[in-house]
Amino acid sequence: MKKGVDFFLSLKLTVILLALSMVLVFAGTLAQVDKGIWTVMDQYFRCVIAWIDLYVFFPRSMDIPHVRIPFPGGFLIGWLLVINLIMVHWASFKIQVSGGRKVAGILFLLLGVLVTVGVMFGWGSAPVAATESDAFWRVFLRLGRGTLAAVVFYIACLLLYRKRAGMVLLHGGILFLLIGEFATALYAVEATMTIKEGETVNFIDHSQELELAFTEISNPDFDTVTVVSDKQLKNGAVIQPQDLPIDIRVNRFILNSTRPQPLSNIPEGLLTRYPQYEGHGSRLYVAEQPEVSGTGGARNAPAVDVELFNRATGDSLGRYILSIWFYPNFVNRAWDMPTNIKVGEKDYAVYFRFRREYITSPSGNPYSIKLLDFVHEKYEGTQMPKDFASQILLINEGDDVNRELRIWMNNPLRYARRTFYQSGYLPDNSGTVLQVVHNDSWMIPYLSCMIVFVGMTAQFIQSLSRYVKRRSAP
Amino acid sequence: MKRSISNALVVLFCIWFFQNGVKPPEEAATDLQLNAFAHLPVKFEGRKKPIDTFARNLLTVLSDKQSVKNEAGEKISATQWLLDTISGRPEAMDYAVFRIENLDVLTSLGLEERKRFRYSYRELMPALNTLDGAARSAYGKADRQRDLYDKQIMKVANKLYLFQNVMASFEDPSTLPKEQLMAVAQRYMQLENYSIPLVIPPVSGNPRWRPLMSTLLAAHPAMNSVIEGHDVAVDPLATHIGVMQTAYREGNVALFNSELMEYGALLQRDNPAVFEKLSFEVFYNRLGAFMKSANLYLLVFVLSLFGWLFRKDGLLGAARTMMVCAFIPHTFAIIARVFLSGYPPVTNLYSSAIFIGWAAVAAGIIIELAFRKKAAGMGNLVGGIAGFSTLLIAHFLAGDGDTMEQMRAVLDTRFWLATHVITVTLGYMATFVSGTIGIFYIFAGLFTRRLDAETKENMFRMMVGTTCFALLLSFVGTVLGGLWADDSWGRFWGWDPKENGALLIVIWNAIMLHARWGRMVEQRGFAIMAVSGNIVTAWSWFGVNQLSVGLHSYGFTQSATFWLVVFVLTQLAVVLLGFVPTRWWKSGN
Repeated sequence: MKKGVDFFLSLKLTVILLALSMVLVFAGTLAQVDKGIWTVMDQYFRCVIAWIDLYVFFPRSMDIPHVRIPFPGGFLIGWLLVINLIMVHWASFKIQVSGGRKVAGILFLLLGVLVTVGVMFGWGSAPVAATESDAFWRVFLRLGRGTLAAVVFYIACLLLYRKRAGMVLLHGGILFLLIGEFATALYAVEATMTIKEGETVNFIDHSQELELAFTEISNPDFDTVTVVSDKQLKNGAVIQPQDLPIDIRVNRFILNSTRPQPLSNIPEGLLTRYPQYEGHGSRLYVAEQPEVSGTGGARNAPAVDVELFNRATGDSLGRYILSIWFYPNFVNRAWDMPTNIKVGEKDYAVYFRFRREYITSPSGNPYSIKLLDFVHEKYEGTQMPKDFASQILLINEGDDVNRELRIWMNNPLRYARRTFYQSGYLPDNSGTVLQVVHNDSWMIPYLSCMIVFVGMTAQFIQSLSRYVKRRSAP
Repeated sequence: MKRSISNALVVLFCIWFFQNGVKPPEEAATDLQLNAFAHLPVKFEGRKKPIDTFARNLLTVLSDKQSVKNEAGEKISATQWLLDTISGRPEAMDYAVFRIENLDVLTSLGLEERKRFRYSYRELMPALNTLDGAARSAYGKADRQRDLYDKQIMKVANKLYLFQNVMASFEDPSTLPKEQLMAVAQRYMQLENYSIPLVIPPVSGNPRWRPLMSTLLAAHPAMNSVIEGHDVAVDPLATHIGVMQTAYREGNVALFNSELMEYGALLQRDNPAVFEKLSFEVFYNRLGAFMKSANLYLLVFVLSLFGWLFRKDGLLGAARTMMVCAFIPHTFAIIARVFLSGYPPVTNLYSSAIFIGWAAVAAGIIIELAFRKKAAGMGNLVGGIAGFSTLLIAHFLAGDGDTMEQMRAVLDTRFWLATHVITVTLGYMATFVSGTIGIFYIFAGLFTRRLDAETKENMFRMMVGTTCFALLLSFVGTVLGGLWADDSWGRFWGWDPKENGALLIVIWNAIMLHARWGRMVEQRGFAIMAVSGNIVTAWSWFGVNQLSVGLHSYGFTQSATFWLVVFVLTQLAVVLLGFVPTRWWKSGN
């Protein structure tokens, strides 16, 4: 028991863990040559046990056996580091003061926490925050708020730990950063929003999740939508959605599919094994292909091969291939091909699409964004982009918001706990693609950066002045 | 007294060394006014620059040099080469300016291998179709399917296309017969989709920069019969340049000079602002401060090495003065780049190299001035070698063309360039400085008796100190990079290769300091770790960039990959030397 505790108390463990993390980061970087960033993240960083492919360390032209080595994953190393850090500090950085000084120190500590929480949850920032003039001040102010929190904490540490204040503060900052990143890994959500010029959109696409959406279009006044999450779309599963007169049998879930091509372009040999589909699959060829790799920015195009049944009669409605390629927001509105089926008297348009979420502000009121204008500026005489900008109208009738704003590179809009970034554009600059991120811990890096900076600087200045003093002494 | 004399001599020598080549060759009024022509404005790759810069960059891309030799072996300036080429002088075809070093490519183009690997356009002509075909097939492949030959073919083809496009954009279609105009107009419209030099500056009534060929075509008297409703617009600026080219081709010096003067006067009247910064940039080009500083830094290193090994304070003092003298133009040139480009000092690999060198020399100077006794010349040694090697790297990186390129949209934010990029680059620098001291420690200990107990302790302290700075700077720099990412697309940390590279430096510096605080290493161990830090930093600086181009082949395809591997191997060798037991060290006990 004692031995175990001692081990956690040692700097040796720190060094070992840091060294392990270097190996992991290095392997995870090399792995991105072949794999998509999200796959690498799950396989190496956001896991307890990582499985490192041996071949990543060698040139791909060499024939390396496909061996996977178990290795401590990002979460395991991270948590061990946190435990190690806390224990080392517990053991070797005891509070050395008492009385009024201790009370004052604790009061400052609480004040620091208060400032931090305030900064994190929007103290000093506007509810609708877009850059109106100088981008530079916005970031500067944020770092400034971080510095304020850091200074309050530093005073607390100085009161409580005297000479070791800088050391304690900087490690506290690291701890905060690790926790923040852990929270981001668990809770941050990334989505996209595609808007054509003149269009108003009130939903976002969760590009990491998919759903099968059945929209009943027989009623002229309203549509009824039923969705099936991709988590249910397992090979061989039979799904019986409650509000739908249809049973779905999943033949195969395809992680990455090819761009659909007319069957006439496909060599005969491939077609013999191609299933007999109804719908678009009867004219277009959709096949499985290897997963995309990380460095290119390409993404997987999932597809699902299903057979649909009329639940009432048990008759087959046909076998369909539903690819995300048929969903307009997958590739810049290039394709829009719903699969139409008829069950009894009801008509359905079926999409395999990104999970859709209708956006609301914290008060529960829905809001929408209208794209007024999209600007794509190039440097004169080149094809090199100089600026992308979306001129938008943010409308939330319930909260009485109606504002014209500009979103452009490095200058996002922050509204209703979401941040909207300029991310892409539609062909011929006819519309914009915004990246929409929901991450409540986004201020933590700003805070912890300044906390570590203040702590480290204080510590190094102290060491340096000690060195200089000793030097000048006889 | 002796010291001030030697310092004065060093300063005089440096001034003489730097003024070399700044003054243009004498030109009488009756000679071709090449110097004036070199000062004319042109917009290329989105930046306004003097013809001088444009010609130098173009020639560097093609041949890796800023001048060319003619048949007689005389040196021709880049501007003159450009004029010879765009005006269509017969000898222009014979300048050997295309550097093709891959043997397979040479064979497939039917060219003989030769010293310096430079070939003329005339020599390339019979192979143009072959080259074009091979390049098209290479472009048609996915990046992964391309082999070394494909990549080299693409490299050569890119040079050729660039050359052809530039030449075409200076064509003078004024004398073409009417029947050809339609085809030419279409070709020009195509060409305008590429990056071509825009040599006609904006003047009243025409706010855009325009290329010569289209402007002259628009002035062709027969154009209104080719395109309905076309307004034949004679542009005096374009006409002057067109006549200048003809005069130059025919050797009519007087006409060339008078057209040049009229062009200059006209532009001066219509748009005087266009001449801003141009003379300064020509001066900057002619000064060539970085290469000259590099040479001096090497000298500083050599002098200091003797001075340090044999404890010659006089030599160290002279070297210190020389380092400061080389540092001043180095600083000036960095400021000049900021002024000319309008961006903070570090925007690409090239500028990161010159900045790292600059900061390392600054660190050397600070070490020398603040701790002269303890440093005992170590600052000279570090500054000299770091300044020299980084500027040499920069010299090789300059082959891609304009080093003051415009920034793509997402990178175009002066705030983040000025904070994140500078800090993280300083972090690289501090890690390298610590690693360089580590190398000296190991070499001096193993091969000389110079490393006594006091020197050991001093060098150790210097390493620890710089590692502390390295940790602070690389941590803050990396986090600021994350904040930039958060500000650009909402992801503080995306495990992107470049981010990971920076993170590795942070972790490595943290490991070093923790190993020291935990007394897991003493002086020698720390020196070995510092040298390993060089590998980590080099990986982050250059290795990550190689990942997308050729990691799957590791193929030494790019020379940068090759040199990176060489560097890593040398550092590993030093690390191994560090592990030699101390009883075999000359400075052993």
